[in-house]
Amino acid sequence: MKAKDIMEPVKETLTPETTLKEAVNRMRVARRGNGRVGVKGMIVLDNGKLAGIVSIKDILKTIIPSYMNLTELGEFTWDGMLEEMAKKVADRKVEEIMTKDVITVSEDASLMECADHVVKHNLQRIPVLNKEKQVVGIVYIRDIYYAIVQALFDKLDKEERK
Amino acid sequence: MTHEAATTSQPFIMDTTFWTATIIFLLAYALIISEKVHKTVVAIFAAALMLVLKILEQREAFHTEAFGIDWNVIFLLLSMMIIINLMKPTGFFEYIAIKSAKLGKGEPMRIMTIFAIVTAILSALLDNVTTVLLLAPVTLLIADALEVDPIPFLIAEALASNIGGTATLIGDPPNIMIASKAKFDFMSFIYNLTPAIIVIMAAFLFVLKIMFGKKLHVRPELKQRILEMDEKEAIKDPLMLKKSLFVLSIVIIGFVLHGTFNYEPATVALFGAGLLLLLSGTHEPHHVLAEIEWPTIFFFMGLFIIIGGVVKVGLIKWMSLEVLAITHGNMFATSMLIMWFSAFASAFVDNIPYVATMNPLIIDMAKQIWPHLQGIQLLHNPELMPVWWSLALGACLGGNGTAIGASANVIVVGLAERAGKKISFIRFMAYGMPVMIITVFISTIYVWLRYYVLKI
Repeated sequence: MKAKDIMEPVKETLTPETTLKEAVNRMRVARRGNGRVGVKGMIVLDNGKLAGIVSIKDILKTIIPSYMNLTELGEFTWDGMLEEMAKKVADRKVEEIMTKDVITVSEDASLMECADHVVKHNLQRIPVLNKEKQVVGIVYIRDIYYAIVQALFDKLDKEERK
Repeated sequence: MTHEAATTSQPFIMDTTFWTATIIFLLAYALIISEKVHKTVVAIFAAALMLVLKILEQREAFHTEAFGIDWNVIFLLLSMMIIINLMKPTGFFEYIAIKSAKLGKGEPMRIMTIFAIVTAILSALLDNVTTVLLLAPVTLLIADALEVDPIPFLIAEALASNIGGTATLIGDPPNIMIASKAKFDFMSFIYNLTPAIIVIMAAFLFVLKIMFGKKLHVRPELKQRILEMDEKEAIKDPLMLKKSLFVLSIVIIGFVLHGTFNYEPATVALFGAGLLLLLSGTHEPHHVLAEIEWPTIFFFMGLFIIIGGVVKVGLIKWMSLEVLAITHGNMFATSMLIMWFSAFASAFVDNIPYVATMNPLIIDMAKQIWPHLQGIQLLHNPELMPVWWSLALGACLGGNGTAIGASANVIVVGLAERAGKKISFIRFMAYGMPVMIITVFISTIYVWLRYYVLKI
């Protein structure tokens, strides 16, 4: 199996100009795969080209004040701070918060390549590009894992038959 | 010492070597000021040029006091950085900052005053950049908790750190360099500069109140957020904290006594660094050592070699003659000229290369005035003493003038920008320049009164 065999089609995308608030809304109502409501990440297209990717982690990173990365201050935060900070950054543009160096794979990439990226770069999803560098789908960590499940159960079935 | 004496007797000639060294020196300083190339890169390359072009022998650069790297400065800086790197993860500085905010009872003006005092004291004992870098994140958190503009707090801290750093030998790099070159001990700084800084600090707190007092208001319910913080939670490693404070106390006592027992400050600091490394029980010193500010250390080393080159060819001596021509050998006029010139120079350019140049210049000048004196008798000539203190006060306090005047200012502006609060060059200067002028003015009165009127 290759990336193109397990990828899911891209239904919804963001643009660099989308605000954080709007992005949160789009991710909230988006449907994916079996139709469960809400996605945890969305790709950003600029004139049809992949410009970045926004995950809920990117959104959290934007909401956490930069000074908190410099030292351990978690114990000194207060009830309601997260919500307050979220409102403060609601109008920020997607281009300011997205991950710009997106790891991508080609349609013919092996599942091992996908798995390698997922683990090395701590990813949840990898956009799949065709030869024209257009996004044709997304490989999710869950679907890579599902290929492993299938492989192991297939093997088990054969052993049981013997 | 013998080397130094030998060179002064040599008259300088403006030959090719003189001009080559001068051009390297000027180009290097111009590049450093322009910030087109990183200052450390400039310093290393220019230093290498001084050696490659044989202006300075490698032996002179590495092994002589007159023209070479000042290892006392280098090891003092290295050792203090090691101690602080080991101390940082204990949470001590966060503890102090939260505790200060609570002492301020959530009143912004009180918090600012306490933070300024704490910053000044910590900066006097540690380096300014570290102090500001450790306190600023907590400051930003406190400002968010109180829903006030953090910029006044951050600017107040940067200014306080430059003022506090002036008070001691180890407080600010210019003082470390002056102490090493002029052979002053820790207590000389306490005796001569600390009184001035106490007066200046009091005036600074008053100025802060005028600048920001009316602007800072907080809703009463927000103060509760500060009062609910438990500073004890900041302490991550109580055992290591105890070890660090133990070693820091030894180092401070060592600094107080180093003159009496004839130890150089670097020896005291190196002992502290070694002891704390040992006590920390680390098997991976790599991390602590990697976190040393190596670019700063190499900047110093490069500068010392560049300065060594221009001292050797006589450029510095020529400059000292020019200064003498302006002041006609009047030491009060020299002190004042050096203090005010240093202040404005340090406000716009890095005070480290500036002081690195001024140190040999003052020594050369003294040699012209008192040709029969040498060694300590020359360096510590009663008439020369106020000149050294004027240089320290001017160069350190001058750093407050602009956003680029001191490393602490650059750090604060950078942190504020990352937090989405831009401090423009003009806005910083609107607070920094008046503070600089007021503090240097107080220094002027101090130096005049103490050394020329009361003569104590």
